[in-house]
Amino acid sequence: MSGAETPGGAAGVDERVVLAGIPLRNAVLTASGTFGYGTEFAPFLDLTQIGGFVAKSLTLEPRFGNPPPRIAETPAGMLNAISIENVGVRAFLEEKLPALPEGVVVIASAFGTAPEVYAELVARVSAHPRIAGVEINASCPHVKAGGIEFGQDPKLLAELVRTVRAATQGPLLVKLSPNVTRIADMARVCEAEGADGITLINAVQAMEVDVERRRPVLSNILGGLSGPAIRPIALRMVWQAAQAVKIPICGVGGITDASDAVKFLLCGATAVQVGTTNYLDPGAAAAIARGIADYAQRHGFARVADLTGALDARRG
Amino acid sequence: MSATTTGIESRSAPLRTRARVISNEPDGRGRTLRLAVPGWPGAIPGQFLMLGPGAEAGVARRDPLLPRPMAVYRDLGVVSGAAEPSIEVLYRVVGRGTTLISEAQPGQSIPLVGPLGRGFPVAPGPGLALLVGGGTGIASLYELARALLRAGRPVLVLLGARSQDDLIGRRDFEALDLELVCATEDGSHGVAGRVTEPLAERLRRAVGEASGASRAGIEVFAVGPTPMMRACAGIAAELGVRCLVSLENPMACGFGVCLGCAAPRAEGGFSLVCRAGPVFDAREIAWEGLP
Repeated sequence: MSGAETPGGAAGVDERVVLAGIPLRNAVLTASGTFGYGTEFAPFLDLTQIGGFVAKSLTLEPRFGNPPPRIAETPAGMLNAISIENVGVRAFLEEKLPALPEGVVVIASAFGTAPEVYAELVARVSAHPRIAGVEINASCPHVKAGGIEFGQDPKLLAELVRTVRAATQGPLLVKLSPNVTRIADMARVCEAEGADGITLINAVQAMEVDVERRRPVLSNILGGLSGPAIRPIALRMVWQAAQAVKIPICGVGGITDASDAVKFLLCGATAVQVGTTNYLDPGAAAAIARGIADYAQRHGFARVADLTGALDARRG
Repeated sequence: MSATTTGIESRSAPLRTRARVISNEPDGRGRTLRLAVPGWPGAIPGQFLMLGPGAEAGVARRDPLLPRPMAVYRDLGVVSGAAEPSIEVLYRVVGRGTTLISEAQPGQSIPLVGPLGRGFPVAPGPGLALLVGGGTGIASLYELARALLRAGRPVLVLLGARSQDDLIGRRDFEALDLELVCATEDGSHGVAGRVTEPLAERLRRAVGEASGASRAGIEVFAVGPTPMMRACAGIAAELGVRCLVSLENPMACGFGVCLGCAAPRAEGGFSLVCRAGPVFDAREIAWEGLP
């Protein structure tokens, strides 16, 4: 709905960006896990009006998620504990991808329990001509190491990125967890192991309690917090990562409008992902892309790409 | 993720638009919100919409964040003198979102996505249709009752609530050409006790009296709190009668991407209430797995 009144008159602004070697028509992607397999948004949005989308994280086999309750609303945000429910890589490649119109940029998301599983998945999806790149979800529980997250241990993360890098020549993004002490260290690991870009942040680990019932609100007890509540945290992490590495950053976390998105670009992101906002306004991503172009024009930027890192961070 | 096809698929793609508030009036302990919805394609009874948590204000609202799933209570079409189709939503103020919705003034706009989900199958025939509504579940039954009447079905509506003022929408049902039974737990209106008691009695009687096509065509449609629907499903199953329910799991999107509304299936795995439902055959649901 934010789209209806956004003026489309940003003629002359070059909206194109290149993220991790993937040319995008504009800087707005939609985040994995919030955009299904793309076709769900066909009634609301022209998929060619956004930079692209990151599909729901895939596992080698179809996977059911957690029992309900899986979600809960929290102040300016929501908690979820879905647990990578997905159709599996085969149905994705054979049924979901062909259902998408030509010209839609699709980034696949891979999830596994071991580096070799990620590598197999990445090899399978990145070989498909409709896949522009792969984002590995390195921010969910890691069974092999007893529940620790790949994205929380620099050594595990290095091993993961190295193994996956060897499995594909194609564009490779690593989606990092915010549940770490020093995000810059994790970003450096990704860069050192050959990732083409990093996406941050995934949801912030959180919980909520139903006091009347004296129970956690989620069946999983813990969940991931998303929405506007986490945006300043995400912005801080994008800023810190951008100071630490040269590979491009895709900023994600609580973006609801073009102004939010521009903040991420200014802090060093090359592109952004819209996540939870897709639920409440399924046309938001396209409106945000138009709004970024308007911002660039109003501020005298000929190219949206020039907004990246354009923050004036001098003190005083 | 679902093989469920009990509900009837939508005739038209959902809209994403702004609805204009026409009126927003109390109805007992509930409220009726009438909205003008430009381009509204009409809904199948049982379909729902996602309504923004309150009218849009001068400053964008980020809290509460999520839209609220609401049944399409009355699908009024283009009423005389109006330029746009209008619909009604029957709701209760239960939290932050519905409090803000209750404050929406005529002329203000509310973000709306819908119609969503699969609606009730409505088959013609002589079999009695017993519609059981509890609490805000009543809102899902009004257009269903009308559609069943149009299909020539005999319709019995049973509404249950704690007290007389909780029997929201009662007057609208009284205006329809059907038999209405109300049950209140405090006995302030109609039968004292739970609505499942008159259901059991009337269903047993209907099954006993009917034969042939009118026996085979008897159906129960139950919408309300999970324990009520589960009890209705049990009563219907005992008598070999098909029971359709409409689940009300929390959801963030309403169109199949947040995966928050998963309901456990009897055969294992989950169905998304928003896409496979909200209407299900009660036998498809693993009731013990619902929170």
